Amino acid sequence: MNESKTSREKVADKLYIVIRIAILVSVVFLFIPGLNPARISGLINRNMSLFTTGLSYSTLIDGFGRSFKKGWVDPSTMKLVYASALCMCLGIAAQAAGGCMSVGNRKFKRLGNWITLIGSVVEVACMSGIYIAYGQIAQTPKPKKVQPIFPDGFWVIMIIGIVLIVLSLIQVFLLPKAAKDDEYEMESKYKLFLMFMPFLALVGVFSYLPLWGWRYAFFDYKVGDTLSMDKFVGFKWFLELVKNPATVRDIVRVLKNTLAMSALGILTSWLPMAFAIFLSEMKNLKFRRFVQVFTTVPNFISWVLVYAIAFCIFSTDGFVSSIMVNLGIWDQGVNMLMSGEHTWIKMLAWGLWKGIGWSAIIYIAAISGIDRQLYEAATVDGAGRFQRMWHITVPGLIPTFCVLLLMSVANILSNGMDQYLVFENATNTDAIMVLDLYVYKLGIGKGSISLTTVISMLKSIVSVALLFLANGVSKLIRGESIV
Amino acid sequence: MAKTAQEKADLKAEKLYQKKHKKKFKATPGDIVFNIINYAVFGLFTLACIFPFYYLFINTISDNDLVIKGVINFIPRGLNLDNYKALLNVSDLSNAFIVSISRTILGTALMVLASGFVGYLVTKQEMWGRKFWYRFLVITMYFNAGLIPWFMNMQMLGLTNTFWAYIIPGIVAPYNIILVKTYIESIPAELEESAQMDGATYITVFRKIIWPLSKPILATIAIFGAVGNWNSFTDSLMLMQSAPELYTLQHRLYIYLNQASNLSALMESGGQVSEAALKSALSGKVIKYTISMVTVIPILIVYPFMQRYFEEGIMLGAVKG
Repeated sequence: MNESKTSREKVADKLYIVIRIAILVSVVFLFIPGLNPARISGLINRNMSLFTTGLSYSTLIDGFGRSFKKGWVDPSTMKLVYASALCMCLGIAAQAAGGCMSVGNRKFKRLGNWITLIGSVVEVACMSGIYIAYGQIAQTPKPKKVQPIFPDGFWVIMIIGIVLIVLSLIQVFLLPKAAKDDEYEMESKYKLFLMFMPFLALVGVFSYLPLWGWRYAFFDYKVGDTLSMDKFVGFKWFLELVKNPATVRDIVRVLKNTLAMSALGILTSWLPMAFAIFLSEMKNLKFRRFVQVFTTVPNFISWVLVYAIAFCIFSTDGFVSSIMVNLGIWDQGVNMLMSGEHTWIKMLAWGLWKGIGWSAIIYIAAISGIDRQLYEAATVDGAGRFQRMWHITVPGLIPTFCVLLLMSVANILSNGMDQYLVFENATNTDAIMVLDLYVYKLGIGKGSISLTTVISMLKSIVSVALLFLANGVSKLIRGESIV
Repeated sequence: MAKTAQEKADLKAEKLYQKKHKKKFKATPGDIVFNIINYAVFGLFTLACIFPFYYLFINTISDNDLVIKGVINFIPRGLNLDNYKALLNVSDLSNAFIVSISRTILGTALMVLASGFVGYLVTKQEMWGRKFWYRFLVITMYFNAGLIPWFMNMQMLGLTNTFWAYIIPGIVAPYNIILVKTYIESIPAELEESAQMDGATYITVFRKIIWPLSKPILATIAIFGAVGNWNSFTDSLMLMQSAPELYTLQHRLYIYLNQASNLSALMESGGQVSEAALKSALSGKVIKYTISMVTVIPILIVYPFMQRYFEEGIMLGAVKG
């Protein structure tokens, strides 16, 4: 790596920044269906990206059965689109590979540059193929049926392709020739980064890209529409939350349920600790193990299965009903799941049934970490069982308890939706509707995307604020952060 | 492991001490009452955790007529496996079973591979922009855009109604990556350095040294990942709306259970229920139990063997916190 840089190389390095950004944009184009430059007809599925277009011909022509039969579109046109898209995928892949090589040594750079150049030429050539196909499809005798569209992203990607060709050609002259005995080499810092990059891309796509969806909060969006500026409504949906009486009523009710159930959860958060303390008071190790193993089982079944369990125990012809009927206490079976009473308490009980054994494990481990000699000393001093529990075990567990408590305070708005979704029915829906479930029902069930995006957005922001707050409190009290 | 003489002596002294004190402190009546209550409470709660599974099971293997009469409560009668055989004919279910199994295997395998590899990469201080990219990754644990933006994103990417929606988003799991990273950092650096002296590349070091040495942690995250994949049903519910052939087993179970509860809601509210609907609902009850059993069996089978890993898993999380 002892290549001293000439001024030409420095210019080349600067040009590389532009080239890499251009390549990145091309790669993004490859995967976003909304920007698909090969979507030249309304009959092509809206969800197809350039990548999927080039991947599967059968999905591409899914909507064209009738048009082929009636001769509105010639199959050769679609084959041209498919071949072009496929080659474009390869071209963009070549660009990306060339871009990656550009962080290597001189020899790598030169090779990478040629590969980018070839890839870009292929890409631009394929764009012309798609242009020709569009020309053919635009002359269809039935434009209403075939819906020719000039794809939005076409010119953008065309320009990027041409820019890449020009820049790569310049680089050919700027990049110095590698010495004959040079090997392909790359600094390990870039090697490592290139290996990390695909995973970072996944994080970007699945964790950061959804933030782009926040724009729906500012539009009048209905499922299936495309967003356009004339649907921009500013803060209308935010105001809806505080102005529309029906929505306000819903939100207040939902927030009441959410906070109540979270509060019940927090109020009972000492139960796993008590569970662990009393469990460790048992002398019989085998029984202790037995209890520990079997009380953690419910944690590993899904909420659907918990509901199935509830169903077989508490429904009209379930265990409790059949026992009561057989004993003659009840005349007929009662479906206890179909009652709107004490919903919060019931949900809390199911949560405890599922989670207490599991949550206790962390405390059990902490108890085994407490110095035995403390107990012995206390016993010698005449402390009874409860005094030892209260003055030695509990203080030993408080730090763990505090961390978990702060975390649950930070998560006060997110109590998940699985549990409430499976237990919800017509009789208890008023008391069981928590925020997550409400958002799901309203957004995905009823298609009110804009309003629910606003709620999702506010919830995310409040949650992060709460987390920071909890973290700050933790730092203040314990001198340690929890995140 | 050989114990030193000192340790042995300590151990002996402690045993003697304990022996002496056991004799000294006899159980008082208060202790006995406490113990009885303690054992009883834990015994009952454990029973409450096991019994439902047992009840479910005996009702699926007993004579259906007896089950419908509601007399199978503690002891199975008229043992048969007809219900399980009947399930084989429900094509929805076998399909859902295959979907669940494949997503569990493929999703878990890719997640573990990725977590292992990325966990290794982020321990490398020399990576370009390591700190920044690591934060970029970890922040996503604490912040998300929300349910609806996530859903719209999946739709925009064209992943809805495809099998890949179960797999690809789960490949990079930041929390598991942190666990693996912490574990790898505890492996002596000399092992890796000596290999690198011999000219091994990062990939070789990962394959030959890091991967085999991190097996305990990888097993732990694999088990958690597998249970999570097997249990998840909201993704199936939201993303597969127009692809019923891709429903997971949990989703199917949810649908079957709901059919029953709708019917009983109708009965409760005094609505007219036809004789035929009632009858099919009743024998449907056994079918529902059987489907639940099929859904829970993989967990119950795997659980006893994997208990150790589960507990290790929660402890690892605690250490990190």
